Formats: sequence, C-alpha cells, structure tokens
Amino acid sequence: MPRNGEADRQPARRVRDPAELAEVALRLRRKVIELVAPTGQGYVQQGLGAADLFAVLYFAELRLDPADPDWISRDRLLLSTAHNTAIFYATLAERGLVPADAIAGYCKDGSPFEVNASERVGTVIEATCGSLGQGLSVGIGMALAARRRGDSARIYVVLGDGELQEGQVWEAALLAGSLGLDNLCLLIDDNRMQVEGHVDTVVKLEPIAGKFASFGWAQDNVDGHDISALIGALDRARTTTGRPSCLVVRTLPGKGVPALEGILAHNLKLPEEVAAMAREALATENRP
Amino acid sequence: MTPAAPQTLTVEDFNQRGAAAAPARKFYGETLLDLARQDPRIVCLTADLTIPTETDLFRDALPERFHQVGIAEANMIGLAGGMARSGEIPFVHSFCVFATRRCYDQIAMQVAYPNLAVKIVGLIPGLTTMLGVSHQATDDIALMRALPNMTVIEPSGPAAVPAAVRAALAHDGPVYLRLKRADGTEAGVVAEEGALPLGRMRVLRQPGEGLLLACGMMVEASLAAADILAAEGIAVGVVDVPTLKPLDPEIATLASGLRAVVTAENHSIIGGLGSAVAELLMESGVRTGFSRVGVRDVFAEGGTTPYLFERYGLTAEAIAKTYREARGRG
Repeated sequence: MPRNGEADRQPARRVRDPAELAEVALRLRRKVIELVAPTGQGYVQQGLGAADLFAVLYFAELRLDPADPDWISRDRLLLSTAHNTAIFYATLAERGLVPADAIAGYCKDGSPFEVNASERVGTVIEATCGSLGQGLSVGIGMALAARRRGDSARIYVVLGDGELQEGQVWEAALLAGSLGLDNLCLLIDDNRMQVEGHVDTVVKLEPIAGKFASFGWAQDNVDGHDISALIGALDRARTTTGRPSCLVVRTLPGKGVPALEGILAHNLKLPEEVAAMAREALATENRP
Repeated sequence: MTPAAPQTLTVEDFNQRGAAAAPARKFYGETLLDLARQDPRIVCLTADLTIPTETDLFRDALPERFHQVGIAEANMIGLAGGMARSGEIPFVHSFCVFATRRCYDQIAMQVAYPNLAVKIVGLIPGLTTMLGVSHQATDDIALMRALPNMTVIEPSGPAAVPAAVRAALAHDGPVYLRLKRADGTEAGVVAEEGALPLGRMRVLRQPGEGLLLACGMMVEASLAAADILAAEGIAVGVVDVPTLKPLDPEIATLASGLRAVVTAENHSIIGGLGSAVAELLMESGVRTGFSRVGVRDVFAEGGTTPYLFERYGLTAEAIAKTYREARGRG
C-alpha cells in the first residue's frame, strides 16, 4: 500500500477559476436536459440544481486520475442520492471518467448507466447506493481504511436533505463525529425537495447544520450556486483537523432554466416542448 | 438433554456461558486472531458486543485494526463495505439476529451485490439464549441464503469453528458464519482432516435405509437420533452440512433410492437446511419420504437451551420420531 497518499499527484487539471467552472456547470445543465429528454421524465430538477456543486467537486476539488480509476489514493465521492444520475453521469463524462458516448445509453435497457447509479459502470461509482441512507456509512469505512494506511485520500459523500430522514445517517454521523474523521466531507444537497414535496411538509429537518454541530462535526451553510463560496467552503473543510466536515449546500431545483426554477418535482415530466424551452434557456447567447 | 438450572446473566455472559465447570475456550476469537496476525488485511468490527463475540482477544492484541462502532449494526455493515472496497477484509460481529435481520438491506446492497470479502459473523444461533425472541435467530439462514453471492456456513459446534473461519477467509466473497460459543456442554463434530471444504457435505455415518442431514448443533443430535433408531433396527446415515449455501449437489446422489430423508436444524423449517434440501431433491427427481426438524413457523421465548430444544422439538428423540413418520411415507 502506498504511504502518504502521493499527496502531490493531481493528474486531472484542477479548475479554480469561478468563470470557467460556471461554463462547466452550464455544459452540465445542457447535458442533463439532453440525457433526460429521450425518456420524457427524470431527475431534471435535482440535476439542474446540483450542477454547480458537481462542477466544483469534480473539477476543482477531487484528486482523480481518469487514466487510472482504481488509483488507491484517489479521492472518493459517494453519491448516496444515487438517483441523481443525469447530473452525475454528465459530470463523469465531462471530466473524462466515463466515455462521453457511453452515457447516451442512459436509462436504456442493457446499459450500465441505469437511473440509479450502479457500480456496473465501473469503479467511479464507488458504491451502489440507491437504497437511501447508506452512503455515509460506506464513506466512513473508506475514511477509516485511508487513515489506517496513512493515505491522504479524502472521502466525499453527497446526501440529499430528505435522505436525512433515514436513521442510518445518524448512526453514521454520530460515529464519524466520535472518531474525528477529518478526511471525511459530507455535502448535503439541500434542495428542500423529496418525493412527496417540500421536506418541511413531510418531516422537518432544520436546523441541519446545528444537528451536525451537536454531533461533533465542523459545519457550514453554503449557497450552492455561488461557485466561489463552494470553493471556499471545500477549502476550509480540507484544512479542518480533528473533525469531519458537513457542508449544507442550498440548491434550487431547476436552477438555470427560469421556468423550472423552484418547481418541486422529484421526477419531472420533460416532454419535448419543455426540453426545447430548457435548451433555449441554457443556450450561451441567452446567458446573462 | 437434562434441563439446566436457571442461570444469572452478566455483562460477559449473554450466552449461557458458565454452565460448565471449566472456562470454555474461545475457539472463534483465537482463530480470528491467529489469522489476523498472518493477514494484515483483516480488520475486526463489533457493535458493543466485543466479549460475547470473543473479539476481545483481537481488540487487545491488534487495537489499530479493531473498530468499536457502537450499537448500530446497519452503519457497521456500511463501514465494512467501504473497508472491503479499500482492500481490507472486515469481519463484522454481533448476535446472529442483529448481524442479519437488523441490517438486511445494508448487507444486500453494500456486501452481497458488490460481492465483497466481508465476513458477517453471528453468535447465538437459533434457540440458544435466555434473552428471548428478540435475540433468537430462527430466520437468519433463510435471509442470508436468499442473497446472491452469499455463502452461508454453520459448523457443527465450537470445536469445528476454526476450520469454518479459515474457509470463510479463504473464500473471496461475502460469507455469513453462524457460530455457537463453547459452553462446555457440547463441542461439535470435528472433521478428521481439520478442514472445511466449502460446498461439501461431510458423511459421518453412511446411509442404511435412510438419512439424517443436519447443520450446527443438530449434527450431534442427529448422531444420537441415529443411535436411537439403530437400537430399533432402523439403520440411517448421518450427514453434516456445514455449508448451507452453496449446498452440496451430491446430497441428491446420496439420498437417491433411500426410504426417507430427514433434515434437522436449529432454525425455522422455512428457508434453511430443510428447504434447501427439499429444493435440491425435488429438482433432482429424488423420490423419498421427507420431513424437516426445526422451529415450526413459530416465535419461541426465552429459556435455557435444553428447555427450548425440548419444547420446540429439536432433540434427538424428536428427530428419531420424525424419521419414523417420514419412513412411513417413503
């Protein structure tokens, strides 16, 4: 096992310029529409909402080697909300971690690019997490293993806010706080939405950051569409010692397509006329 | 079996230990530690049951590879998945019921589906605890058998545990180990060759007119049942089936042409050894009298093991009686 995690290795160029990252996020949003449109329904709102977060995570933060997906010291990202695949696959393809043409099979029979991300795709799907509430536990196992082998690899876990209603999340949160796992960073995609609507109409979650603070975590509330703020929050998390970090990332469902913004649809219908409207809104010439 | 006197439970004594005069050996804990000293990939996880799962030996000797995760089995399974994906071989520990049913979806998604080398180790099989229905695992074999990629092992008793643990480690995939701690009252039937080949039955006594197939504690009971039947002039063989999954297909060959076959397990008659054997015999076209000895689709209650085995029909006499009935249909 390698020691010290080859701390300087960063094969994929890090993008730290907010303007360039915004361009990446725009391309990802277009890809979300492109991926879901053939099915006519899918995880559009979550994908558009998380595009800035995914752009920052995969292009500015994670240490990955597209040429060596099994690199032991890679940073790992676990998408516990494994249904948010349109943005996930779009990002992996944009970053060169999966073949760009392969994700055209999204949701088609026989394709490994299923609606819930499965490790059939490859190592880049670090665990199969469609059953909500499990990703943080797996991430803790990876963080403990990295710590034991003296590896500087960091573990990132993305949970949905509604997913916090799963009890296992709190078993994991309690343990990670107790262990002081500072190589673990939890990102809560706080889009205020779950299958039955607004999270507050199902089971109230606030204060999310306060809950994690009381469990021994460093925590921060971040505007999920402020790319500089996201970069800064991830920088602080990376340099926090002795505690795991939790970033509550407030995202707006449908972000980037004004007609869709704020619509709480877990599985949005996307007929061709809506897809066309979204493409129009996301066209470069229509950007502010 | 003679009923034992009621015993006092202590923190270290969840499993009716102390019935024997001499302290019982920690067959499991000693074996795991031996293996871990040789294989640095092995890590040990426990959910607040270190001493009752004999992992105190590991904790004291290899503390950097020991993880106390608290009373949170679902989380523990997730951790194990993450560790196995990082190149470690996690042995996770709890009582059988909490190691399986309590965290079934987590095992399915984070261990079985990715086919990871996670070894799930349960102590307290079936009706071997005074702690009652909450602590009695009577459906764990059924649950684990139903998972693709899962191997299920129940050795015949504490003395047969070391070979089972070595077999579990040697198998590159998920394993459920259903174990019983030694309490001095029974030791299990140790293989002459000292190994436990996965997926292979062990013929302890060749069939006469019929056959008793058993796993775990019921192996010794079946040997005693065969003696009872022999005294009546009925010759039956006895087979130890330590691997519940994959089941040895040679069982069908051995059972072919016999008057009757009876299975015996310290588990529900649904989904365990009896079900597995029935499935195999039917699909192999073996026609024979057949019956299952096990917990007959009921919840039990807390009590001493001899009392519960008597009450729920898990004794040698119950096996013999069941065989007599089965041969009447054979």
